[in-house]
Amino acid sequence: MRKSLFLWAVALVSVAAVACGGSSSSSEPTAQSTATAVPTRASAPDIAPELRDGTPTGDTEGSPRAGDRFTQVYSDPPTLDPHLVVDGTSFGIVVELFSGLVSLDENLRIVPELAESWDVLESGTVYEFKLRPDITFSNGDPVTAQDFKWSMERAGRPETASAVAETYLGDIVGMEALINGEAGDVSGIQVIDERTLRITIDAPKAYFLAKLTYPTAYVLNRENVESGGRSWTDSPVGTGAFTLAEYRVGQRIRLARNDNYWSRPAYLDEVFFNLSGGVSMAMYENDEIDITRVGLADLDRVNDPTEPLNQDLVETPAQFGVQYIGFNVDQPPFDDVKFRQALNLAVDKELISSQVFADLLEPAYGILPPEFPGYNPELDGLRYDLDRAKQLLSESKYADESSRPRIIVTVPGSGGSPGLDVEVIADMWSRDLGVNVEIQQVEWATYLQDLNRKRLQAWGGVAWQADYPDPQDFIDILFYSDTQGNRGNYSNATVDSLVEQARTEQDISKRVELYQEAEEIIVNEAAWLPLWFDTDRKALLKQRVQDYRFTQIAIPKFKDVWVTDAR
Amino acid sequence: MSLDSINESPSAPNTRSVRGRNQFSLAFSRLRRKRLGMIALTVIAIIYLAGIFAPVLDTHGYSETNLLKTQEGPDTENFLGTDRLGRDTYTRLLWGIQTTVIVTVASLLTGALLLGLTLGLVAGYFRGTADTIIARVGEVVSAFPDILLIILLAATVRPRILDWTRSFEDSSGITGLVSSGFVDFIVIGIALLPLSWFGTMRLVRGQVLQLREADYVEAARAMGTSTPRILIRHILPNIISPLIVTVSFGMGAVAGTEIALSFFGLGVQPPRPSLGIMIGEATGRGSTAVSVLTQHPEQLLAPIAVVWLLIFAWNILGDALTDVFNPRSR
Amino acid sequence: MLAYMVRRLLWTPVLLVIVSIVVFILGTYGPGDPVEVRLGQNYSPEAAERLREQLGLNDSIAEQWGRYVWDALQGDFGESFVFQGRTVGEILGPRLWVSAQLNFAAFLITLVFGIPLGFYAAKRQGTWSDPAVVLTTLALFALPVFIIAPFLIWLFALQLDWVPVSGWGGFFDKRIILPAVTIGVPGIAVFTRLMRASTLDVLGQEYIRTARSKGLSEVVVNYRHIARNALIPIMTIMGFTFASLFAGSLITELIYGIPGVGRISLDSIFARDFPVITAIVLIGATMLVLANLLIDFAYTVVDPRIRLQ
Repeated sequence: MRKSLFLWAVALVSVAAVACGGSSSSSEPTAQSTATAVPTRASAPDIAPELRDGTPTGDTEGSPRAGDRFTQVYSDPPTLDPHLVVDGTSFGIVVELFSGLVSLDENLRIVPELAESWDVLESGTVYEFKLRPDITFSNGDPVTAQDFKWSMERAGRPETASAVAETYLGDIVGMEALINGEAGDVSGIQVIDERTLRITIDAPKAYFLAKLTYPTAYVLNRENVESGGRSWTDSPVGTGAFTLAEYRVGQRIRLARNDNYWSRPAYLDEVFFNLSGGVSMAMYENDEIDITRVGLADLDRVNDPTEPLNQDLVETPAQFGVQYIGFNVDQPPFDDVKFRQALNLAVDKELISSQVFADLLEPAYGILPPEFPGYNPELDGLRYDLDRAKQLLSESKYADESSRPRIIVTVPGSGGSPGLDVEVIADMWSRDLGVNVEIQQVEWATYLQDLNRKRLQAWGGVAWQADYPDPQDFIDILFYSDTQGNRGNYSNATVDSLVEQARTEQDISKRVELYQEAEEIIVNEAAWLPLWFDTDRKALLKQRVQDYRFTQIAIPKFKDVWVTDAR
Repeated sequence: MSLDSINESPSAPNTRSVRGRNQFSLAFSRLRRKRLGMIALTVIAIIYLAGIFAPVLDTHGYSETNLLKTQEGPDTENFLGTDRLGRDTYTRLLWGIQTTVIVTVASLLTGALLLGLTLGLVAGYFRGTADTIIARVGEVVSAFPDILLIILLAATVRPRILDWTRSFEDSSGITGLVSSGFVDFIVIGIALLPLSWFGTMRLVRGQVLQLREADYVEAARAMGTSTPRILIRHILPNIISPLIVTVSFGMGAVAGTEIALSFFGLGVQPPRPSLGIMIGEATGRGSTAVSVLTQHPEQLLAPIAVVWLLIFAWNILGDALTDVFNPRSR
Repeated sequence: MLAYMVRRLLWTPVLLVIVSIVVFILGTYGPGDPVEVRLGQNYSPEAAERLREQLGLNDSIAEQWGRYVWDALQGDFGESFVFQGRTVGEILGPRLWVSAQLNFAAFLITLVFGIPLGFYAAKRQGTWSDPAVVLTTLALFALPVFIIAPFLIWLFALQLDWVPVSGWGGFFDKRIILPAVTIGVPGIAVFTRLMRASTLDVLGQEYIRTARSKGLSEVVVNYRHIARNALIPIMTIMGFTFASLFAGSLITELIYGIPGVGRISLDSIFARDFPVITAIVLIGATMLVLANLLIDFAYTVVDPRIRLQ
């Protein structure tokens, strides 16, 4: 779940970085830096979950040892305030410092965190949470249901100016009014007693619990926030496994063990985030950091079994995201479905994947990524078929080359590469279909603005990544007629009604079917040209590091990590 | 050292009065005796000709990909091998040079020569209000940290100019303004102006300030010679030489800046190549620079060699010209 | 003379005001919106509106500018749009200090090699060592940082293991060496060239011949007369070096992982973090204005014929 800018960002990161070899976002200085500022780009450590194949990390097994530290390259988080988090970089640190009622485990199941249990009442509109006994903040203050109510209301208050309160908490009865400044508190959040919290939502929404795993719903210490003013996050009091020991903007973040953590305390004395960047691969080789991603440029070398680095090679599971080229279906020539289909069919993704990206990206023919809830392995999509593409083009409104409007694919360009895939695809379209294609590279802020205004005729260099594990996060947010995420003005009455049904459908398998049906329509109508899903990537991890879990979403991961004596 | 220092490091002031035409034939014959200078001139000429004649010399299309032959070494079909998309490195190099050629020439003609020279002459000779105004405007423009201003302009102004041009193309039926890179060149040229005009202006102004006090100018003035005549006949010829020197140093600086701009994705539009784009793509914008250097040095070497040669040669030529025009330092 | 200097000094704040107006205009009317960059994927017109209101971006440009100047006069340069809750001073202060140290170290390298080399080349004019020095320094000057930096890292950090690959530990930490060399070495050519030209100038002067004819020892002539006089014009260029002390070095900082001002400059432009951009531009402008003043002053000292008015 990384909501984000950074998703877009990922755009850059993924395209660029993947291109340059899947360097880890977090350890991808270029992407971040040149690419900038957009904080977003530095996607969180993309290091996603799942045990690394269940194999222990080194030969030195044994029982976990407390002490020592773990170092990695990271980039400056725009905020450490959980309620303001919109990007993966901030997310990755916030989850170590704070927590909420529920969280996700490595298998994306929702598991109890500060709540030990909950009941769903009133056919899905009321959630009653029972907090764990004796839980405290890192400063020793007890955590009560009242703290949760205060925190969630704080997230929604206009003066907090959270960009995501509406997305993640807007389903709670009364929250909209608070966000719009029309109410002082939220009636849908009730404190029953010290340890019991009742949340009422406006309709039975199956994905609500998943949204509570996002930092917007995390609990904060009222005293800490109110006395700290604008810079309270310089000395945050949280409920995570770590506390913030030091933060020097642009230089480093050090996390220290939280001895008041509700569960077993972390083993590591310290987690060190190097914020000033550098060439991470070289730093890794020089033992300056404990983890790095492997870029295309180094892939051959680390895959060579005789190379010492090969011993450290680990696979990191794919991220839940899809890269695509979007079409604005209101603008000619994209208003003709046959034309869009022709463009889809004319792109040989298999070839690009193997030749350009060394198979680090998997061709996407649908919208939902593999292993994501609702993924449809049966979905055929529009696979490469040049003859059919030409056929469709000749049947389209734009068969005549002289009157066919040109296509301008806009890609974000600040510091990112123009997008190797977009360049190849443009060449395929113009060579094989005779379509007049231009690539327009604009810098990030301009790109976002034009995209938000729906001014772009076609756009590439972006990815959508999951914020929470529910197909609603893709299909509904991106393709429902009346939604901000639908940047291409795609509209289909059948899709709309399927999505509306799915929103309140309580039966999981039924919901999945509805979304899959909608997805199939969207794909066959070529609303997008889906490009790539992430596949497992390569990373290097020092062998002394044990129990480091790569996760597909940002979940607290350092609490279980320990290192052996061997340096 | 900032690029400034290159622009601002003119030769020592030359206060001699030498007749213009004589001076040039003399200068050229002196330059011909400078072996290094001639070599540099030849290298520059070859690189610029290669860029100008890119459409003739290329063997492929610069955006033509071939996914069946990516990242291969040199052979008879691809003289310098292919990049990750199977594009011909040799062809892209030629077109990349052309980008540099157009940008350097355009920016220096407009910036250094037109603006810098005219304003410098006016400011230095008339002094007073004209000088003040020009100096103030110049100070404002040059008060912006150079590369930052260029990036700011490229980031904010370029997208809108491109939009306007596109709608102009659509309404007028003229095509190719954007796709040929024409608009990019204009915008980059404008963005580079602050870098090129103020240095020249200062230099020219400084020279004029000294020259107008020179005996022979005072004599001419006393004899009633008109101001334009003094400027053109007596002052201009003596400014030309330091100007040529600055320009030849400045060319290297502008080339370097254009490359940096492209490196950050603010230069010409893809798929049109530029040396900066080629370097940026090869090094993953810096992040994989070390790996590329050790794993695939050939991807970096071609564009870097050209950049290096070009800046090197412009500076050697500048040095040689300094010697030629300023006999005292010989 | 004094009046001139005072007038120039008084002009400085006016200049800074104009510069800040230009930045505000570019920011307001140029494409790109800090709020949208911050919201990214979460953009919705309502959320953007709330955030704009909170950041004060809905006020007129004159109001925003006025508020900025008023606060800036009191030493408050605002809060970053990107790094929430952090003041511009907090963000830029340490970075400026880092860049200044790095640039100073680089400048020392430039000076220590550049001046003697230029002097040496001038003294050896006519022999092979003059062009050799000039060519070598120029060849280094022309080398793009894209190749120097990775090469130095590969050689000194990975192969020889003399220094760490990256990071920052202050002026007296060995990690400063590679980046300082990367920035400083190309500059040697500039100083060599200047020193050479200026030494040649001095060598041709009457008084040197006079000094020699008086039978002064070669050492005394070299140092007391030639080098000292030759150094005077070099002061000009030092003025500009001074001006760029707080300027970042984008690519070098990027590759060596140095928390300097270069990266934040670029990042803040891309994120439209205007409080940060404005502050950086104003600092740069102030330094340049002061440097210009210094240079003008130096000109008058060197050549009294130019009377400043």
